Amino acid sequence: MKNIFNPKSVALIGASEEKNSVGLGLAKNILESKKDVFFVNPFKESVLGLKCYDKITDIKSKIDLAVIAVPAKVVKETVIDCVSKKVGTVIIISGGFKEEGKEEEEEEIKNILKENNISLIGPNCLGIISKDLNASFAPITPKEGSIAFLSQSGAIINSVIDKVGFSKIVSYGNEADLGLVDFLEYLDKDKDTKVISIYIEGLKDGRKFMEVAKKISKPIVLIKAGRSEKGKKAVGTHTGSLAGDYDVYKSAMKQSGVILVDTIEELLDISKALAFLPKCKNGIGIITNGGGLGILTADYCFQYGIDIPELNKETISYLDKKLKGVKNKNNPLDVIGDAMPERYGVAMEALLNQKDINSLIVISAPQAMTDHKENAKMVVEMRKKYPQKPIVCCFKEGDLEENNVPNYPDAMRAVKSIRSLIKNEQ
Amino acid sequence: MEILGFKETEIILSKYKIPFCKTEIFNSKEKALLFAQKIGFPVVLKVHGQRVFHKSELRGVKVGIENKEDFISSWDEMIKNVSGRNIEGLLVQEMVSGSEVAIGMKRDNQFGPVIMFGLGGIFIEIIKDFSLRIAPINLEESLEMIKEIKGFKILDGARGKEKVNIKQLAQILVNLSTLSIKEEKIKSIDFNPIIINKKRALATDFRIVI
Repeated sequence: MKNIFNPKSVALIGASEEKNSVGLGLAKNILESKKDVFFVNPFKESVLGLKCYDKITDIKSKIDLAVIAVPAKVVKETVIDCVSKKVGTVIIISGGFKEEGKEEEEEEIKNILKENNISLIGPNCLGIISKDLNASFAPITPKEGSIAFLSQSGAIINSVIDKVGFSKIVSYGNEADLGLVDFLEYLDKDKDTKVISIYIEGLKDGRKFMEVAKKISKPIVLIKAGRSEKGKKAVGTHTGSLAGDYDVYKSAMKQSGVILVDTIEELLDISKALAFLPKCKNGIGIITNGGGLGILTADYCFQYGIDIPELNKETISYLDKKLKGVKNKNNPLDVIGDAMPERYGVAMEALLNQKDINSLIVISAPQAMTDHKENAKMVVEMRKKYPQKPIVCCFKEGDLEENNVPNYPDAMRAVKSIRSLIKNEQ
Repeated sequence: MEILGFKETEIILSKYKIPFCKTEIFNSKEKALLFAQKIGFPVVLKVHGQRVFHKSELRGVKVGIENKEDFISSWDEMIKNVSGRNIEGLLVQEMVSGSEVAIGMKRDNQFGPVIMFGLGGIFIEIIKDFSLRIAPINLEESLEMIKEIKGFKILDGARGKEKVNIKQLAQILVNLSTLSIKEEKIKSIDFNPIIINKKRALATDFRIVI
């Protein structure tokens, strides 16, 4: 796997300057990577200013990773060249194989590489992204982060790539050789990855997936597409996999300790919480500058089995002394619409000190006088002071996620994310 | 795809310790009657055949047969109802009372044998209140899957109802899981219903498809 995620040299076969082409997208991204880059295209002198070789075998240096983006009918001969060149790993971006019913062609290519001990990603994929390497035709290179994303669909990657930071992204395509479970095993040991997010339409071998997923120590968050009859039919023509029965999937994921989510939004929300924050025990404190939002949050917590402990005597007497201008001291704690950062600070400190409060949801609704940015600073400070107690926010603005504090535009999303952090809960 | 014969079914159920109500298969009315008298009325009559997938639709099930006369007329009527069908015989069963649950197994093409539990009848088909697990499962997981259904309170003594023997039910699920892993040629299994009361759980209808 080292050749895949941390190669010294990368060759792109099928580099192109043609507008809107996959070859151009790849060429741009690979050129930006901090690697020794080589382009291959027999019909071009150069692409984006870099010389093009006629064949990969014409390159003198050693090639760790070969990225193939040529028409399906010439993939086989390109692969044979890669074998002669003794490359470390091959990514086949090109489609037109199993997903179009051409299983034999895919099998043949896979076997050629296998006989020569060269591992393969794809075919029919977007490519991969790792630290200092963007070997994909994604529209941008994402921010660095600690979420790894494995996806059966390339377009899903493109739709989330600017939303959070990633450690690694893999579009694994048809899984002719390396597949989902191989990457899971690798990522469990990857020091840059804290949480593994997955988009699937079907699984090649459900039992094998369960066996591997059970052993993975990092949290896995997964979304499964192709749950309805129409959706299942579309899966067949998209990735050529079997969609299967969603009720069975639900049980399988539960049994494997995988967090199954319904939407991409939830996939990112929960992955973010797991990447930024530690796990915690049940018991939450809610701080809000708007009573209504606090009540709704309390209702959502009840819905998801999150306890909201009563404030104890010590907490109340601390608040009586320090929290000026607030009469009712309850959990949820309403610090009132005119709350300034100091009041938030006192409230957070008080609740975080109570033993059975193990996490916080802090809400900063846009009241006329609210100073979101300063409130956010206060939250970041508390995160540092109480590192074992996770805090998630519902703020209009403020530097939160930059400081590893998840911020959600809606309280329901904050509650669902906190729930994923509570031990022995899903 | 066909339903496993009664004798083979009996062997499988015994081998994997799936308790079932007193049942015997007959082609002779006289012998059947003797058995019914031996186990005591009321009894149940049911058709069994390799291709008989929907017994009720054929009018091939009669419950609550109270006496000899009732038995003889029920037998004759059922033989008429299934005439022209290739059947193995008619089952004579003891009547058991208690709550009804359903347990099943089917093979998923990606995950292999899947165990299903529900309250049976409309609860599964209409309200969709059932739980699933991929086999193998242990006793703890099986208890968890029983408690997972919304209707669990019905088995747990809600509204003065009798609390049933959950532990035995859980053991049946575990045994079914073992069966499904070991007997690969079995495509699906339905125990619907399993009658369960305070003391015991017994499969009263069993369909093993090969």
